Amino acid sequence: MKKFLSGFLGAVLTVSVSAAPSVKGPFDPVLQDKYYERVQIPTPAGEVCEVVSIALLPDKKVAIGTRRGDVWVAEGAYENDLSKIKWTKFATGLHEPLGMFWKDGSIYATHRPELTRMTDRHGVGHADSYESICSDWGINGDYHEFAWGSEPDREGNVWVVLCLSGSFYANSDWRGWCVRVTPEGKMIPTCPGIRSPGGIGANEKGDMFYTDNQGVWNGASSIKWLRPGSFQGNPTGNKFYKLAKDFPAPPEPQSGSRILKERLKFPDFVPPAVILPHGTVGNSPSGIACDMSKGKWGPWANQMFLGEQTASQVQRVSLEFVNGLYQGACFHFLEGFEAGLVPVRMDQTDGTLFVGGTNRGWGSRGHYPFTFERVRWRGKVPFEMHDISARPDGFELTFTHPVDAKTAGNVASYDMDAFTYIYQSAYGSPEVDQAKPIVKSATVAEDGLHVRLVVEGLIRGHIHHIAAVGVRDRAGESLWHNEGWYTLNEIPSK
Amino acid sequence: MRLPTLSGLILSAACLAAAEDGAQIYNTLCIACHGPDGKGANGLPPLVGSEWPKGQPERAIKIVINGLTGPVEVAGKAYNIEMPPQGAVLNDEKIAAALTYVRKTFVRGESAVTVDQVKAVRAAVADRTKPWTADELLKAHPFPPAKTALKNLVGSVYKGEWTVMPDFATLKPAQIEDENAGIVSPNQSGLKKNYAMVWEGQFHAPVDGKYTFTFDCDDFGALYLGGKKIAEIKGIGPIGSRAKQATVELKQGDNAFRLEYVQAAGEQVIVLGWKGPKDRDVKWLSDTKSGKAAGPKWPSIAIQPHDGYTAVYRNFIQGTTPRGIGFGFPNGMNLAFSADNLAVELMWSGRFMDGGHHWTDRGQGFEPPAGEGVIKLSGTSGILSSVEATDLIGKYRGYELDRQGNPTFKVVAGGDTLTDAWLPGEHNLSRTLTLQGDKPLVVLLERNLEAVAKEDGKVLEIGGRLLLTPSLPQALKVQGTAVYLTLNPGESITLGYSFR
Repeated sequence: MKKFLSGFLGAVLTVSVSAAPSVKGPFDPVLQDKYYERVQIPTPAGEVCEVVSIALLPDKKVAIGTRRGDVWVAEGAYENDLSKIKWTKFATGLHEPLGMFWKDGSIYATHRPELTRMTDRHGVGHADSYESICSDWGINGDYHEFAWGSEPDREGNVWVVLCLSGSFYANSDWRGWCVRVTPEGKMIPTCPGIRSPGGIGANEKGDMFYTDNQGVWNGASSIKWLRPGSFQGNPTGNKFYKLAKDFPAPPEPQSGSRILKERLKFPDFVPPAVILPHGTVGNSPSGIACDMSKGKWGPWANQMFLGEQTASQVQRVSLEFVNGLYQGACFHFLEGFEAGLVPVRMDQTDGTLFVGGTNRGWGSRGHYPFTFERVRWRGKVPFEMHDISARPDGFELTFTHPVDAKTAGNVASYDMDAFTYIYQSAYGSPEVDQAKPIVKSATVAEDGLHVRLVVEGLIRGHIHHIAAVGVRDRAGESLWHNEGWYTLNEIPSK
Repeated sequence: MRLPTLSGLILSAACLAAAEDGAQIYNTLCIACHGPDGKGANGLPPLVGSEWPKGQPERAIKIVINGLTGPVEVAGKAYNIEMPPQGAVLNDEKIAAALTYVRKTFVRGESAVTVDQVKAVRAAVADRTKPWTADELLKAHPFPPAKTALKNLVGSVYKGEWTVMPDFATLKPAQIEDENAGIVSPNQSGLKKNYAMVWEGQFHAPVDGKYTFTFDCDDFGALYLGGKKIAEIKGIGPIGSRAKQATVELKQGDNAFRLEYVQAAGEQVIVLGWKGPKDRDVKWLSDTKSGKAAGPKWPSIAIQPHDGYTAVYRNFIQGTTPRGIGFGFPNGMNLAFSADNLAVELMWSGRFMDGGHHWTDRGQGFEPPAGEGVIKLSGTSGILSSVEATDLIGKYRGYELDRQGNPTFKVVAGGDTLTDAWLPGEHNLSRTLTLQGDKPLVVLLERNLEAVAKEDGKVLEIGGRLLLTPSLPQALKVQGTAVYLTLNPGESITLGYSFR
């Protein structure tokens, strides 16, 4: 009877609560080009360059790693005239290099079997030394056992997130874990709970994040904070803690629950920093770049930019730290890339964003099977919600242009809905526990850049979708992207 | 834009709950792989022209709920896919709406899928956690037999032993059956050996013109069209080399069809297909189809040494461990080193590797070497503390390449460093093992094949094919089918490898 009743109530809830209308219009390439210049960079002629990693080298050289296992270095990838770009094959014979960086004259690649340091020891123009730095994780021939590697952190450690076998199982050692590899090649087990990563990168503080894809235990895709020792939510690989010295047994959460409920039981369970609603924002998030360009990429200091493989887009994420956890909002940002994006790399010195993509095996939007592209800010600030910040009784929205006080101060300019996902061992989840928070007041700050929303019905743990369709700037312009999704892990006390 | 009022929103949500928008669901979740027009995107399978969403909807509902994994044939093409399950994402109403949209838009003429149908399937598969395989689904929900061009087909079985075609007019059939599916198969006899079968009926030609028939069988048979024998296979033998092609002019409409077949013993197979004047692909009249890809097929992408430079391939190489590293030398000799077992585990000659398997798909599975005569030298620990030991010692530390791309592998074991350099000669590979450190190491050279000493012990012949010539024969120890090399610190030993 109880079960029947709860099902019945669920049905009533579905009918009585409505989502805010989807307000994203079709892609407008002309409008995007007013703010950001997207250019496809020619790859080596006749070569299949399914770009899955990018490294920035001194002297404005850029290296790309391909799924076929080659590393090519470009000279001239920053130039206006890309017809003169010069490519040199630096290395070959890697097994899907999904992470790459340059350090002290060598290119390092995290690929399926190991972390490799590649060096041109004898000045022959390509790598003649392939040193194996660490290969302490298991692989068994399963194609899904990917290894995604970061750039080195401040201690010189490379963080590696290890996808589950077949994205479901833990059939080889350390599958479903994040490990760190020290410069000496020692492997430090760091976080259990990984499912199927698509990229890894640090923010301005040096805290490491990765993207994890919708699937088992992931109701939707998300960007997650790899706090050392934390549990990331998928218990499949938990058993490997026994292989480590002194690693406590990770949590064994209840399936069919909610993330909030389970993480309150287990203090080591760090919830996703920002959930990317499935189908709407995220299908398969990938590479991560933090904007530390000091304004050269636009007014997005310290925000995170995520690749999206299925939709061939770049999404924008603003983060804040509340009660010891990261949380924040995601926004649509750039689209129209020519293949499903995997690596995203920002040159912080001049704000150039390099992205690469491939559609092989996993379908994506775009006109090409693979791509290498460059995006630059044109210097014109689009009218956007810069960020969303949680308050005890609502949110503060920050805009990139001073807003028109009349529209921005009118509660009817905003619409909100909130929901979460079932936290379960099944693949994905519908949106559930829908609610309709009400914007009670909207107060525009004197500078016109901040609007304080008092909201009735905030729900801890829910994703709060805020659509600011009616807001105009002082020139009467509407927002380029007029909605954001805030993951409210914690409601701040002040 | 005017903002809808709250009450308006509630109303539209209520309507939505009653009728989910299948197009919207398709355009959000399905479009990236199946394409906006249902014709497939980026090499992923289409819905248009596919049998999978057709007919009783249970098959399609199961795929949406649990997903589909592995090899699958769609609209005549082989794929190897991983369709993610949607059962936990979409409720019954949404699945019914999305599948109804697919069946109305891309399949046509198929009924809507009801919420009750989805509900029933969901209850039936409640315990299932894994995606389906195509084989599982086809076993439970086979495609309806397609109509062939053969009408009123009747099969007669005769018992007896023949080496030439008998005169069937003088024989009495043991059994006569209608074959309404219009397919010929030796299995219809119910026998394994010593019988003959004759099928008679009409071949329906859709237009006037030239028709090409492909015919092969094990053991022998004859094909008649319009009362004329157009192809015959004589004598006892297998399919393959004796296959016949015959082109005949046929009028639109029914043409007399007759197939005579004799099975002696062993395999029993008939391969029969045809192509009309306007057809690109062969249509099959037999249960066995030739020329059909068995499982996934990839285009060939040869990986070969070029300009005297040795090629490298690091991927899943069949016969060695997942951390396999292949080197293909310009002299046509090849090896695969296992970075797990620290040993050269495979050697072969001829073509090096083909990248088509791993480079045109997601990279599932192991790919065998492309060349001939693969010799598997070992499959266990390659660096040992003594001949008696079995535990792996040491760690793979990478390789260096010389100017021609020839590798020197490096292994570290405690205070020892072992380098293992390979250089191609005209017809051989020269291998130099050098140990630096503080204690001796044992290198396993092979443990799978018989090793026979030749030329006064100067040469070891391994598996009858590979010749091993050590610079210091006494350093080698043959024990059973295993060959060990003991190296002392400061020592360097060269071995020549050549194929007989």
